[in-house]
Amino acid sequence: MKVGLLYSRIRTDEKLLLEELRSRGHEVKKIDVRDQQFGLSGSSVDAAELDIVVDRCVATSRSMYVTEFFDSYGVPIVNPPDVASTCSDKVKTSLALEEAGIPTPDTRVAFTREAALDAIKDFGYPVVLKPVVGSWGRLMARIEDDHAAEAILEHKETLGHYEHKIFYIQEFVDKPGRDLRVLSLDGDPVAGMIRSADHWITNAHRGAETRVLDINEEIEDLVRRASDAVGGGLLGVDLMETDDGYTIHEINHTVEYKALADVVDVDIVGEVVDWLEVKATASDNGAAKMAL
Amino acid sequence: MYADRFGTLKGISRVQTGAMTTCPECGAGLTLHDSIEVGEIVDCSTCGTELEVVEENPPVLDLAPELDEDWGE
Repeated sequence: MKVGLLYSRIRTDEKLLLEELRSRGHEVKKIDVRDQQFGLSGSSVDAAELDIVVDRCVATSRSMYVTEFFDSYGVPIVNPPDVASTCSDKVKTSLALEEAGIPTPDTRVAFTREAALDAIKDFGYPVVLKPVVGSWGRLMARIEDDHAAEAILEHKETLGHYEHKIFYIQEFVDKPGRDLRVLSLDGDPVAGMIRSADHWITNAHRGAETRVLDINEEIEDLVRRASDAVGGGLLGVDLMETDDGYTIHEINHTVEYKALADVVDVDIVGEVVDWLEVKATASDNGAAKMAL
Repeated sequence: MYADRFGTLKGISRVQTGAMTTCPECGAGLTLHDSIEVGEIVDCSTCGTELEVVEENPPVLDLAPELDEDWGE
């Protein structure tokens, strides 16, 4: 198959994928989205020659739009734009999980500092304030009292971008120093890891220690349902443990798997490419010749 | 399981092992690892600057873009 790989930065994750695809004899077209133009009926990339496109853009904003364009051109894309749209926005993710009856932390959104402060006080301390779009734990705040809440809300209001004035306030989940990451392919769990840290943010990107997660039936069921709730695809589903069971707080649509691949015996990238091969075969790329 | 994969896979070298180039920031010589890819980021061991591979063969480096707010998973 001929695979288009959308990127602007080649991380170890992308290198692993490239090596696996090439080692199987697939033709890979690396597409640096910074060099391209995307028109309404075609782009500077010959979409018609591609059997499938994999979005590995590190920038969420680019990911959002390029998936829309390739979907519009009729090329199968992983992940599709509706999945990217839901997963990249914490509000949409929370609503999708809630609508599917999947446990997720209680959340409120407010648009003014005053309303946000009221919501924060209703939750009580500690409470969590997150950006609606963001990754790697950036700009997340665990707020412990009124003084910190007032200061952080004021700071966010002055950051400039309108997204910072969408206050996404969430109950603090007192997890046991760790959270869980499961990589799934259309809902099928491939492998999982436990991410532990002394810090309340336990992203592997921020140096959390990682070890293998044994995926039990409850986790598997939740991952399948969460994947269905956001549209499926290649996903990283994040769970936390609570006294009442698991809760899902995030689903990643351009999931990084290097840290996971380092701790599990499963051939993560091999599984991903197996899945891509099936997807590409199943889809009839009806893209017209649309090169500009 | 992938920890040493790039060092053990055969036939994936995109640039010959130990290709030399210079850092566009400080001018120091840089020896690149094998299997370098356009779009990959490498660090200059002399000045610490993050550099982006913009050409593979011969290797050409440029200053890497700054981390953006929306980067991530």
